[in-house]
Amino acid sequence: MPATFIHRSILTVGFLSLFHAAYSAAQHRSYLRLNDLDFTHLPLDIFLQALVSLFIIMYGVLNITGDFKEIKAAAELDNKSWETFRNIPSFYIFNHRGGKSSPVLTKTSLEEIE
Amino acid sequence: MANKIKNEFVAYSEPAIRNNLSIVEYCRTSVAAVSGCTAGVLGLTGLYGALFFVIAVTSFWFMLIFKAGIDSWKKYFISRKSLLLNGIFGHFFTYILCWTFIYGMVHVY
Amino acid sequence: MGADLIVDPQIRFWVFLPIVVITFLVGILRHYASILLSSQKKIEIQQLADSQLLLRARALRENSGYIPKNAFLIRKQAFNKEDGYLMQKRPAVSQNMMTDPSMMTDMLKGNLTNVLPMIVIGGWINWMFSGFITTKVPFPLTLRFKSMLQRGIELSHLDASWVSSASWYFLNVFGLRSIYTLVLGENNAADQSKQMQEQMQMTGAASGMPADPKVPFKAEWEALEITEHQTKLADVEKDLL
Repeated sequence: MPATFIHRSILTVGFLSLFHAAYSAAQHRSYLRLNDLDFTHLPLDIFLQALVSLFIIMYGVLNITGDFKEIKAAAELDNKSWETFRNIPSFYIFNHRGGKSSPVLTKTSLEEIE
Repeated sequence: MANKIKNEFVAYSEPAIRNNLSIVEYCRTSVAAVSGCTAGVLGLTGLYGALFFVIAVTSFWFMLIFKAGIDSWKKYFISRKSLLLNGIFGHFFTYILCWTFIYGMVHVY
Repeated sequence: MGADLIVDPQIRFWVFLPIVVITFLVGILRHYASILLSSQKKIEIQQLADSQLLLRARALRENSGYIPKNAFLIRKQAFNKEDGYLMQKRPAVSQNMMTDPSMMTDMLKGNLTNVLPMIVIGGWINWMFSGFITTKVPFPLTLRFKSMLQRGIELSHLDASWVSSASWYFLNVFGLRSIYTLVLGENNAADQSKQMQEQMQMTGAASGMPADPKVPFKAEWEALEITEHQTKLADVEKDLL
């Protein structure tokens, strides 16, 4: 599946959330400093928010980069039919009797198209 | 062993391998950067930071294998271990830079 | 651990962040400048023909078992006879750097995009943001790192994990490499250490092309001369059936 709009927005949400967590953490630090408290640990909600946004970003990145290709050399050929291989463009012939016998495509109509 | 004999003559397609590896490399670099940022936000110090890196990379590895399919990953990659370990020190350096950066932004001042 | 030193929050927005942004943007700028300045390597048609000739000779040598003996001998003759392909005379190509002005311009451009910004920006940052303590690495370090991380501040009692502004710049220069890979894609020009390596290789071997075709021609001639035709398809009918 290609990178869809949904995955892009997931990634954006993840980054915004991580940024918000960072901002909250910075605010928390300055609050602690103003009140002369020691830093022991982050509040649980910021902690969880940072972790969750990390995983959201991981998921978004994983899905936005595209799909893997099968590494077996035969894999690409698997879903091609025999007809595909017989199709050799160098041997195309356009000037054959079909043009002459067609009721629609007369010589004059072809010239008109040109 | 039987598996090995069966796969002895498998021909791999070079562009596909390179495509997969570059996708994985891209993902892992960004995961290293983002997990560094997260570690900085959380204010981890010392060994906790290194531990967090290991946890983040390993869980991303699981996500990668889950995306490739738990039993069909062999279709896309030759070795699972190289997905986890290739260039881990370069990623660790990226991690440290982001960690230091965000830690400085959030916790030092 | 963190409470021993309180840093002015203004430093964050006027020193710490600008260094990161400047380093990053200079890298991006360098990438695009080198794209602008880069000149496509011109390949001499004679050189290209020669290298293709060598490839053909090698292909013949390696796969000789798959064609009939007659065909092999005809091909071998075409390469190895008195005035065959491999006996052609070529004027010696001089790849001297001094005589070739295009090499000189390439070197100059490389220096212009690599070394010059490095020196100028580094000097400017040293002058502009000198003497700040910018940040603190979140892990303990031994005293040996002090000289590396605290360039520009000579405080003997400061903990080794504090980082000065000049050192922070250098950390960024070397650490942002993978971020450039994310932003600009593989093989970008923002990373100067890779380019240095490339330059070294360029001066060493002139970009993969044989400078003097006489030597590889001679080697290939000898190798083809001693190749014996041994058909690999002797039992092919039996195998097939």
